[in-house]
Amino acid sequence: MMRFLLSFLLGWAVLAHSAMAQDSGPLRIEITEGVIEPMPFAVPDFVPAGPAAAEVAGQIARVIAADLSGTGLFREIPADAHIGRVSDFAAPIRFADWKAINAQALVTGEVAASGNRITVRFRVWDVFSGAELGNGLQFAGSADGWRRMAHKVADAVYSRITGEGGYFDSRVVFVSESGPKNDRKKRLAIMDYDGANVQYLTDSASIVLAPRFSPTGDRVLYTSFESGFPRIYVLDVGRVQRRVLETQEGTMSFAPRFAPDGQTVVFSLEQGGNTDIYTMDIGSGQISRQTSSPSIETAPSYSPDGSRIVFESDRSGTQQLYVMPAAGGEAKRISFGQGRYGTPVWSPRGDLIAFTKQNKGRFHIGVMRTDGSEERLLTASFLDEGPTWAPNGRVIMFTRETKGARGQATLYTVDITGRNLRPVRTPGGASDPSWSPLQN
Amino acid sequence: MQTGTKISALAHGLLLAWAFLGGVFRSDPLPVEVQDVTVISAEEFDRMTGHSEAPEVAVGPTEPTEPEPPEAAPEPEPQPDAAAEPERAPEPTPAPPAPETQPEPDPAPTPPDPETAALVPEPPAPQQRPSDRIAPEPVAPPPPEAQPDPVEREEVAPDAAAETPREAQEATAPEEAAEEIVTEAEETAVLAPTRSPRPAARPDRPAPTPTAEPPRAAETEDAVAAALAEAMSGAREETPTAPAAPSGPPLSAGEKEALRVAVSSCWNVGSLSSEALATTVVVAVSLTQDGKPQMETIRMVSHSGGGEGAAQQAFEAARRAIIRCGAKGYSMPADKYDRWRNIEMTFNPERMRIK
Repeated sequence: MMRFLLSFLLGWAVLAHSAMAQDSGPLRIEITEGVIEPMPFAVPDFVPAGPAAAEVAGQIARVIAADLSGTGLFREIPADAHIGRVSDFAAPIRFADWKAINAQALVTGEVAASGNRITVRFRVWDVFSGAELGNGLQFAGSADGWRRMAHKVADAVYSRITGEGGYFDSRVVFVSESGPKNDRKKRLAIMDYDGANVQYLTDSASIVLAPRFSPTGDRVLYTSFESGFPRIYVLDVGRVQRRVLETQEGTMSFAPRFAPDGQTVVFSLEQGGNTDIYTMDIGSGQISRQTSSPSIETAPSYSPDGSRIVFESDRSGTQQLYVMPAAGGEAKRISFGQGRYGTPVWSPRGDLIAFTKQNKGRFHIGVMRTDGSEERLLTASFLDEGPTWAPNGRVIMFTRETKGARGQATLYTVDITGRNLRPVRTPGGASDPSWSPLQN
Repeated sequence: MQTGTKISALAHGLLLAWAFLGGVFRSDPLPVEVQDVTVISAEEFDRMTGHSEAPEVAVGPTEPTEPEPPEAAPEPEPQPDAAAEPERAPEPTPAPPAPETQPEPDPAPTPPDPETAALVPEPPAPQQRPSDRIAPEPVAPPPPEAQPDPVEREEVAPDAAAETPREAQEATAPEEAAEEIVTEAEETAVLAPTRSPRPAARPDRPAPTPTAEPPRAAETEDAVAAALAEAMSGAREETPTAPAAPSGPPLSAGEKEALRVAVSSCWNVGSLSSEALATTVVVAVSLTQDGKPQMETIRMVSHSGGGEGAAQQAFEAARRAIIRCGAKGYSMPADKYDRWRNIEMTFNPERMRIK
């Protein structure tokens, strides 16, 4: 009884005190629910500083708009709906014209061309407050690299509005596929993140698998069956030169991935019917064994700080995900859902692990916390696999293959909410993507 | 639970409740008039009260003496044309001599306490309100709506027999008059105090600290500097005071909810970063009387849960929400403007967070 009385008195005291406190001062309300929808924005064609820049000025604006719209976070208001016109980059903005079409963000810019060089200047505006978001910025480069400059502008706009780092000025290495399933030709290719500027790195004489960018984006690890056995190669992207990572004779090495330091490679090595995880120092060629289990351990991926490795193993009887210290030690299982988990990849932000899940005849791309909690499946199809993270850790690219003898592999992107799923346009079939870091 | 623990818990609970609710039960003290008391000696008291001792009373009963009737006032002389002229007040006559009265014992006024004497001013003698007319009988003050008229007329009754309608006449109030004329020589001193002594002065207040006076223009050779100093001084004087507490009935829960829903519909968190979605910001805004936000007043009061960059992103999203949905004015009760003129909105994205 006394406890009840005490609780009552204390509760009443707190309520009375808060009521008195709210009776004076400004009105206070709390907003806890909003909306999640793409932000309307406008990118009128950039102002050409001369006739030579007229064409590229419009092209740059279109690439910026496509980059932003492709995130799913922004919705472009088409040019034919614009009321205002920007004919002078330095002139004041008539915000009423842009408010009238409900544009919340406005990107204005100017392009100047001089010989083989172009200069791009731009500003980002918050239309309804009439304030500029950040300061104006300028990029200069060769005329051939106008797409990169457009991606850089889009990265800056994206970053200023969302607070996240961008990912548009990045590249993707992937396996280009052609031909029917029973005679498929595969070769390495590299492209801009949006599918433009495709270049081939290898021929299709032998099967190549699982290319992986180095942390600096200048090298690519991949697995090739060129010798009849799967072996790991390191390819210098700039010079298109490669060398093999020597392992023991009679072994199969695959599923390589760089450590964050760029000097260590973690991979799987099959020896005597048993597959374990090893690391190799690229410079010295010294190999170190990380796991020792009679089961199959593969698909290792470092955490961004290099302290841990996530991998898949069937040591429990089914294919599951495990995390172990990079220096070796006991592995801890983190996946406990139904089905089989594989190809884990640690997010560059370090907060999530993306994976492939097979359950009840369907494949999923999903993410979970590094301790295995808060698992969330983002996709579902006949075959989804091979996730790779965008540099900002907010978007995942993966392979989706359609059913049937004429099925084709296609690259897709999906954001970590699962709301924005989009195909990546490539010249032909494409699989096994690996996203580079942002280019310098 | 031990008895001692229970007692301790109850005592602490009461103490906490008193700490929280002290302001609830506290009421302003009733106004109390304070008057200083001066201690005087018994001799001084006797001297002060000696004149008011009762006179000696005769042993036997005395016949009551009839007071002498005052001299009758003279009849006013009839005027030659009474019908043409209204009745006028009689000419002023000298006042009858006052009846002789027993001289009162001369009170021996004790010298007042010097402190009190200095504080009590000499009571002014009562003065009768002067009037330039004397009426034979005291007249009642005129009704407030009635206007004095130079000619006093009797109320006119409608004549039913008359054939021609007469213009109605309004009764007028008699002119203001006094009972008697009091000259300056006849002014009587009134001993009774008409005002109470002023209370003693309160304890001395601390001397005001000398404030730095703005430099005078005459003392500065540079006229521009003098003007700047004046401007600075004026700016200090115009320091805004704290706004008064809002008055009037508070907003109802429904009115608050309507505002909350209105802002929520424009609060788009889809483009916010993960860190910004973990940041709660408190945004202050002032509204005009038609419910439109004043953009220059929108500011971030505080934030929690994220860094400065994330807080800035969250604030910008909140600012967009306030401005967009308030472009046509929020629907608020106009009679409670003081209650919603200044608003602090807490944008808490916890439910919108993407893990």
